[in-house]
Amino acid sequence: MNAERRSFLLVGGAIVSALLLVGVYLAAGGASYTPEKTQDPCKHRAWRNPEGLQQIAEQFTLSALDGAACRLGVSRETLAQALATPEARERFKERYHISDAKLARAVRAGLLRAVDDAEEAGALSPFLAGPLRETLRSVPLDQAIELINNAESLLNNVEGFLGPAQELLEGFLP
Amino acid sequence: MSAEAPRPRVAALALAVGLVLADSSIVVLALPDIYRQLDTSVAGVSWVLVSFNLVMALAAVPAAHLARRVGPGRAAAVGLAIFAGAGLACAVSDQLSTLIAARCVQAIGGALAVTAVLELLPATVGSERRAAALWATAGATGAALGPAVGGLLTELVSWQSIFLIQVPIALAAAVPILAVARHEVATGVLSTELRRTGRPHLLANLALALVSAAIAGALFLLVLLLIEGWRLSPIGAAIVVSVMPLAALLGSRLDRLVPSARARAAAGAVLVSGGLGGLALLPKAEVALTVPPQVMIGIGLALVLSALTETALSGRAPQAIHGGWTISARHAGVVIGILAVTPIFTHDIAQQRHDAINAGTAVILDSKAPPLLKLNLAQKIESRLEDEKGKVPTIGPAFEPLPTDPEEHDQVVELREELQDQLNRGATHAFSPSFGLAALIGLLSLIPIGLARRVEL
Repeated sequence: MNAERRSFLLVGGAIVSALLLVGVYLAAGGASYTPEKTQDPCKHRAWRNPEGLQQIAEQFTLSALDGAACRLGVSRETLAQALATPEARERFKERYHISDAKLARAVRAGLLRAVDDAEEAGALSPFLAGPLRETLRSVPLDQAIELINNAESLLNNVEGFLGPAQELLEGFLP
Repeated sequence: MSAEAPRPRVAALALAVGLVLADSSIVVLALPDIYRQLDTSVAGVSWVLVSFNLVMALAAVPAAHLARRVGPGRAAAVGLAIFAGAGLACAVSDQLSTLIAARCVQAIGGALAVTAVLELLPATVGSERRAAALWATAGATGAALGPAVGGLLTELVSWQSIFLIQVPIALAAAVPILAVARHEVATGVLSTELRRTGRPHLLANLALALVSAAIAGALFLLVLLLIEGWRLSPIGAAIVVSVMPLAALLGSRLDRLVPSARARAAAGAVLVSGGLGGLALLPKAEVALTVPPQVMIGIGLALVLSALTETALSGRAPQAIHGGWTISARHAGVVIGILAVTPIFTHDIAQQRHDAINAGTAVILDSKAPPLLKLNLAQKIESRLEDEKGKVPTIGPAFEPLPTDPEEHDQVVELREELQDQLNRGATHAFSPSFGLAALIGLLSLIPIGLARRVEL
């Protein structure tokens, strides 16, 4: 084999190898190997057949996080991390330039959306949902965050939370 | 002189070149350790690498002129002594600024030694062509072996040991060269004739700079991906990146089969770019998937570096000056490569880390684990992020202690794996644009290589 042919084969082989490698990696999903996209918190997410208090509490929490995150213009996941500790909350407020009042309004809005969603899913009686909404509209920020983080205790102890109306409301939880 | 040239002297000259040029890449695997120990930023620590290459690029040609003026034996011996002394200063540095300053001095000594050696080699091995080939091979071997050796030393001893071990090696290489220096002093005669310097090979040196930028980007990014992105230990990363020098050995054998330097340069540039393209499109965070691209880059770098160095030196005199130009071009390329890719990937890694954490948290929130458990997990991740201060976090501790209930235990382990997968996706994807840019720079080197077909260099 002469020198010119060997040169041609070397360059040709290099081009084919390079294209083959790039082609195989592309076909194997190389261009799409990215983190999954998180969903828009403002879009309605149907509840997944909640059965029992624990599942209702979970769906309630997720709806509340969606509602608050939508109001603040962040993802549900970012807000979940932000509400972990007082320090995380402070970092979150600083990063997104959010005041206590704005955060409180957003968290209350999230809780109200959770009540709406629970009612729509048939997980919360309309008789209980109405007074619960009224109470949640004025709940302080720390307590509102605690309610998101531990919705099970809210729903388990809704009578205590609503105060004097408890006797009227007993039996309305499914 | 070649008939009497002792083998130790040839070995010492090759060792000096390999040692100095290994230094352009030897700290690559130590950068994450230096980054943590000296508490700096990714951009800051990259200057440990950049400063050495920048000063080499600036000092190589003046150093070659100096070597010819004072005598290459003396210049090589003094250069190696400076290199060793500055290496010691690097090892005892406890601040980034002093480490970078010592690296600059090390580069000045290295530039003097490497260019002087090229002036000494023809008389030692018998011909300028053999001298150029030995010089280029020693340099390419050193540069290719550097990261693996640096990684092993970092893991087994410390990053400081990389510099400490260079001190006795540089001094050992200087001993046989001292005989030449003594001869120069005794006779007052320089071993080489002072000839008029011809102009450098512009296109070959330009191509060298571009392809070196691509290769530097490949090494720098791959090491950071393995250690910072996929959390490999330095020794693990050293084993992985040793694929490149092994493949380079294979590539150097092709030199003899294809005499055309242009064909070898073009094929090498295509292989380097193709390999980088593969790294930009990794379909999973698996070490095995980096092997085919590394093999291509290794073979490619052996072909293209030797072909372009040979072209740049062919028929040019004096060799030391033109060798200085190739050193200058290669190290300028390394600087350009690192400076071009660093801002892109530091920006991308911050964004991808954020996206990956959110995606992982979404996986947890949407999982079937008990609500309080998963909310607690999602929130513990926030604490891990804070602990790791902006780096890609090791997520395992967020899941400790694992639940004792077998069902919950399995759910948590599954969640941990899903979250780690999201983080790996984020880290891998963050490096893609930078690998892509390095591939593009490698392809650009085909322009001067192609032009060289028509233009007399």
